[in-house]
Amino acid sequence: MTTSLPPTTAAIRAPITAIGEAPSAWKVVVRVASTVWSNGKARIGLVMLALFVLLAIFAPLIAPYGASETGFERSADGSAAHWLGTTAAGEDVLSQLLYGAQVSIFVGLVAGLLSTIIAVLIGLSWGYVRGFGADVINFIVNLFLVIPGLPLMIVIAAYLSGGGIGMIIVVVVITGWAWGARVLRSQTQSLRSRDFVTAAVFSGERPFRIVFREILPNMTSLIVGNFFGAATAAILAEAGLEFLGLGDSTVVSWGTMLFWAQNSNALLTGQWALLFAPGLCIALLATSLTLINFGVDGISNPRLREGTKR
Amino acid sequence: MTPAPYAQTPPAANTTLLEVHDLSVHYGYGAGATKAVQNVSFRLAHGEFVGLVGESGSGKSTLGFALTGLSKPPAHIEKGRILFGGKDIASLDAEQLREQRHGGIAMVLQSGMNALNPVRSIRNHFVDIFRAHGHVDRSRWTARATELIGKVELTPQVLDRFPGELSGGMRQRVSIALALSLEPELMVFDEPTTALDVLVQHAVMNTIIELQKSENFTAILISHDLGIVLESAQRVMVMHEGRIVEDAPARQILENPQADYTRMLLSHYADPRAEVVELPGFADRQQRKAEGASRTEAATHTPTVSPRTLRADQHAMIVENVSKIYPAPRRGEAPVRAVDNVSFTLEPGAALALVGASGSGKSTIAKLITAVEKPTSGRIRFGDLDVGSLNRRHFRRLHRDVQMVFQDPYSALNPLHTVEYALTRPVINFTGLHGTDARRRVLELLDIVGLNPVEEFAAKLPHQLSGGQRQRVVIARALASDPQVIIADEPVSMLDVSLRAGVLALLEDLREQWGVSLLYITHDLLSARVVTDNIMVLNGGAVVETGNTADVLRNPQDDYTIRLLDAIPNPRKVVA
Repeated sequence: MTTSLPPTTAAIRAPITAIGEAPSAWKVVVRVASTVWSNGKARIGLVMLALFVLLAIFAPLIAPYGASETGFERSADGSAAHWLGTTAAGEDVLSQLLYGAQVSIFVGLVAGLLSTIIAVLIGLSWGYVRGFGADVINFIVNLFLVIPGLPLMIVIAAYLSGGGIGMIIVVVVITGWAWGARVLRSQTQSLRSRDFVTAAVFSGERPFRIVFREILPNMTSLIVGNFFGAATAAILAEAGLEFLGLGDSTVVSWGTMLFWAQNSNALLTGQWALLFAPGLCIALLATSLTLINFGVDGISNPRLREGTKR
Repeated sequence: MTPAPYAQTPPAANTTLLEVHDLSVHYGYGAGATKAVQNVSFRLAHGEFVGLVGESGSGKSTLGFALTGLSKPPAHIEKGRILFGGKDIASLDAEQLREQRHGGIAMVLQSGMNALNPVRSIRNHFVDIFRAHGHVDRSRWTARATELIGKVELTPQVLDRFPGELSGGMRQRVSIALALSLEPELMVFDEPTTALDVLVQHAVMNTIIELQKSENFTAILISHDLGIVLESAQRVMVMHEGRIVEDAPARQILENPQADYTRMLLSHYADPRAEVVELPGFADRQQRKAEGASRTEAATHTPTVSPRTLRADQHAMIVENVSKIYPAPRRGEAPVRAVDNVSFTLEPGAALALVGASGSGKSTIAKLITAVEKPTSGRIRFGDLDVGSLNRRHFRRLHRDVQMVFQDPYSALNPLHTVEYALTRPVINFTGLHGTDARRRVLELLDIVGLNPVEEFAAKLPHQLSGGQRQRVVIARALASDPQVIIADEPVSMLDVSLRAGVLALLEDLREQWGVSLLYITHDLLSARVVTDNIMVLNGGAVVETGNTADVLRNPQDDYTIRLLDAIPNPRKVVA
């Protein structure tokens, strides 16, 4: 094929002397990061998320006591020694809160990521293929969508009982990917008919590359949005399952804290911090992810990105 | 053709209806504001028909919206006054504005045909307006709606139809009738026919001209097409970069243009039927042929390569008795015959134009040739490839030699990939070059299409390029595989007039230099005349006329070809 090319150097009017490197993947990452950072709301969200992550990582250093260290005064109110009081079992609430962040953030990010990956793989190929294959995927996705989420979750969790955090992640992923897949599929279908996708076919691209290099980057905001949505749902589902006592109740997480607080009638005894503190943390973590989502919109829309500079 | 309106003497000594005084409209505030309209002043007398011409970004639509009080943030009137019948429009609040719509200013939009509510019948659209303004007695609603719909040359049955059941031209007529229902004194038409098919465009334009005469409203026609405006308006204002650079009677604009910009716009019009057709950058085709292969200096770019010798293995694209039938859109309707028994051969190095109005099947033929669609019957051969039954897996073999230039440069490039990426992919896929070699080839391609400095353009994202530059990138991408055939589907229809000639000259250049054969699909007969040798006229999927481009356009035999030629807005036609 190379033989039929027109003369390579003679055609150049001004000889190209230095051939610089093509923009690297690293630059793209930096561009994306700065885009998200340039949005005020997203910046607040990122700071909040970073704070939670740091607290979770450094929990062993920051926490005044161990997570399941008992032996303090039971059901005590807040004091200098125990800022948020103690539980009915005599554990320090603040320490539990800090250690609990580890579980919640871990489950949120891992389960969110896994269900997003499944949603992307299935949603995009489903949107691009036509014919029999699409019908089969359609049937499977609809199956997952028509089964009510929480009962399914409870049934699976009860079936896999005793699996701990890993089990919770599996349950959240199984019940969480279908909605994202459907949303991504419809966007893929609308992008599939664009001229630049046809142009990619003319450029000799294989279907796999068209889907994941041409179509996928145009849905970045949708996918990242889907990830943050899935992560939020996973954090809430984890707390919910633990609260219902379906997880491993010896693990310290925000969900199990709520479970034990409910068990010991914390509200009746006036220990509102026991319910309020983990509840607020769950809400704040979910909020931070939602705020980051605002900044993500700019990635897929270069015009929006420049608009923020004005 | 209706007689030129401005041939009659405009009614003299008329009272002023609209006065715009030192108007500036900005998008945004402060130093970063885009100054869309700058210090514009003009007067409009009762019953005048004024054209407002400019290319995209000249501020003509912004001005139109400001006049009708429809400016939306971030657009705002920075300074100046718009006096309509003595009242300043900018100072009116929303309710006063709404009231003055009756007997005041009405606007017909470019996408006016999409402005109809799809779930309401046309009758309901009229009733909504009558009810809102209460200017028509309830018992006369039907009579008045029938009268209005008759004025735009539609039958009363249309009133009971829904927008989805009407064609684009009919819907645009309905929106004109709706605008008329308020008995406006001033009608602003913002590109009323741009989104319509050529033949329909012509008919709707005639209706507007007739209506203006019979109803005697004052009209402003905003258009990018100087031809349309000169054909219909008495006075023409030419806008460029937010300023009115020329304001003169139509005949004077045509015969004695003052501004350089107006002269430049005029230079891009010619009659495809003329003996000799010249555009900026194009000498007449016949004469060029006579001069031999020597190229004109006026062309935008002159690479120093010698014309490439034709490849030994270059093939012709042979289309034999091809038909394409799509299944009926609805039950009980006949199947759609998009292409009907078409045969032609695209010889190596030839330039063939495929012309016709929309729905004539020209784009379907492009899809069939590129194997995007399969023909219902007939054969398409390219070398030893049977294109008609080509498997998806073998697309690469075909697309190595058959490439396409898309109509819309704004959607043909992935907004997230740099120019370099868009060009690197086909280079890697088709030529097997990698790394630095591939990059060298990409920069070469950019140089060939005249995007210099190449390094700078390679790093750009599509939204940083103008329409013309994007189309050059699209052409460069089509060239990356070093194809034998390029199919150009309306490559310049989305571009401003001043950019068209450059892109066409590039295509012409490449064809001569590289020995690429060109299938040029268009509804624009003038551009077909300057870039192609042979022409095929399609109507309803069938070929109605074929032959040498210049011969066919000078002596059209088929009625359809004549109608297409008549539909071309051409200012000089009026004078002749």
